[in-house]
Amino acid sequence: MFSSLWVVIDSHFYGFLKATGVTLQLTAVSLALAVLIGLVFAFFKLSRNPVANLVANAYIGIVRGTPLIVLLMFLYFGISSIVLLSSFWAGSLALAIHAGAYVAEIFRGAIQSIDHGQHEAARSLGMSRRTAMRLIILPQSFRRAIPPLGNQFIIGLKDSSLVAFLGVSEIYSTAMTAAAANFLPFETYLVAGLYYLVLVLIFTVLVHKLEIKLAPDRRAAT
Amino acid sequence: MNVIETRSLNKHFGDLHVLKGADLTVAEGEVVAIIGPSGSGKSTLLRCLNFLEIPDEGSQVLLDGEPIDPQHDDLNKVRERMGMVFQHFHLFPHKNVINNITIAPENVKGVPRSEAKAKARDLLEKVGLPDKEKAWPSQLSGGQKQRVAIARALAMDPEIMLFDEVTSALDPELVAEVLQVVKDLAAGGMTMVMVTHEMGFAREVADRVIMMDEGMIIEEGEPSEFFTNPSEERTQAFLSQVLHA
Ligand SMILES: Nc1ncnc2c1ncn2[C@@H]1O[C@H](COP(=O)(O)OP(=O)(O)OP(=O)(O)O)[C@@H](O)[C@H]1O
Ligand SMILES: [Mg+2]
Repeated sequence: MFSSLWVVIDSHFYGFLKATGVTLQLTAVSLALAVLIGLVFAFFKLSRNPVANLVANAYIGIVRGTPLIVLLMFLYFGISSIVLLSSFWAGSLALAIHAGAYVAEIFRGAIQSIDHGQHEAARSLGMSRRTAMRLIILPQSFRRAIPPLGNQFIIGLKDSSLVAFLGVSEIYSTAMTAAAANFLPFETYLVAGLYYLVLVLIFTVLVHKLEIKLAPDRRAAT
Repeated sequence: MNVIETRSLNKHFGDLHVLKGADLTVAEGEVVAIIGPSGSGKSTLLRCLNFLEIPDEGSQVLLDGEPIDPQHDDLNKVRERMGMVFQHFHLFPHKNVINNITIAPENVKGVPRSEAKAKARDLLEKVGLPDKEKAWPSQLSGGQKQRVAIARALAMDPEIMLFDEVTSALDPELVAEVLQVVKDLAAGGMTMVMVTHEMGFAREVADRVIMMDEGMIIEEGEPSEFFTNPSEERTQAFLSQVLHA
């Protein structure tokens, strides 16, 4: 097994390397979009406007209530019937729409978890609602959102494998193709799994670093 | 000249009638202490002064003789002119001490950073924390936090300071350092309204003491008179209860 494992690692090294690049791009694009979508819908959910609430609840409810692969196919065929998008962009968009709902809930929870006294203290100093949100509430919320957000990002990285079914040559689709050709599916999927595992580990370290960086008082205290 | 004045101030929270026509006047340089049992509406009265709570319609709050209309006036501008200190400090945990103090002058008034910092250092000196400007709120004791909170409010150059039980959350040995800062402010001529449970302090520092019960101001007077010879039965009962607790 070890010799055949080596064969897979060695013979598909370049292919997996390229695929890793694609997986990272998919993840980066979809999660960046998801953060924007999530912020907007978090505000919709916290808004006093009932229409905004309804829109946010509908969006989050639909995404939560459907399997990602169904949503992915639905959006892919839906999106590509309206505009001509490459499968990479259609896939990224679909992943973003999916992850955005979870990110929205993370942000909403983080914003709501900030003690109301923070808002009152800011307002008592003459800050407007908007300034208080921007300078006092949001920075603290972001800090509080980092751990669950990091978790969501790891899920997003792994979810990007489903885009293989749209024909994007990321890690999982590269593994499928290779396994069909080399007749070593066990070793090939093992290698694919290792690629994801390493990416997730690197990512976990980065999130932890960010957490420390965004918590200067805790860093100073230790 | 009255810095602040309320006329028939009413406040409901739903069906709960919390303030029932409170008339309060505070003259320039005056120190007014508000006492009264829990739930009598002291905090609500204070919070109506700077519109953290919006009084019921028909209530009047006048600042420097000008009536404030919460529907149409810019309440942010109104709040700039009043400093407030809370029982639980509410320092901004993501800002260090000096930035807690400079954030409002810089972002609300547009004071240049260097100027805001110089002023913050003066204020830290005043509250006895000149060496803490780089510390984080989580590294301070309760008494130190509250002194920073006072400096933060003062940094906006308020015309009046509102204190809501600013020593109630402190360990007993930390109360004195905060009261000293408040005392210094009073001596410096700051106009202040303070809700307090520290009767000895109220007696020493206040020019006037106000007793609230069930949403009404039931008695007020000059401290020596008020504490030795209260006229209302409810005041007598309340004082004997807190003084002999
Ligand atoms: N935001 C609010 N919503 C509903 N009820 C409120 C609110 N704030 C205060 N109350 C009620 O109003 C009444 C007066 O409260 P307030 O905080 O003004 O009392 P207080 O005199 O400051 O009491 P304490 O000495 O305990 O601080 C209480 O019955 C309280 O439960
Ligand atoms: Mg109170």
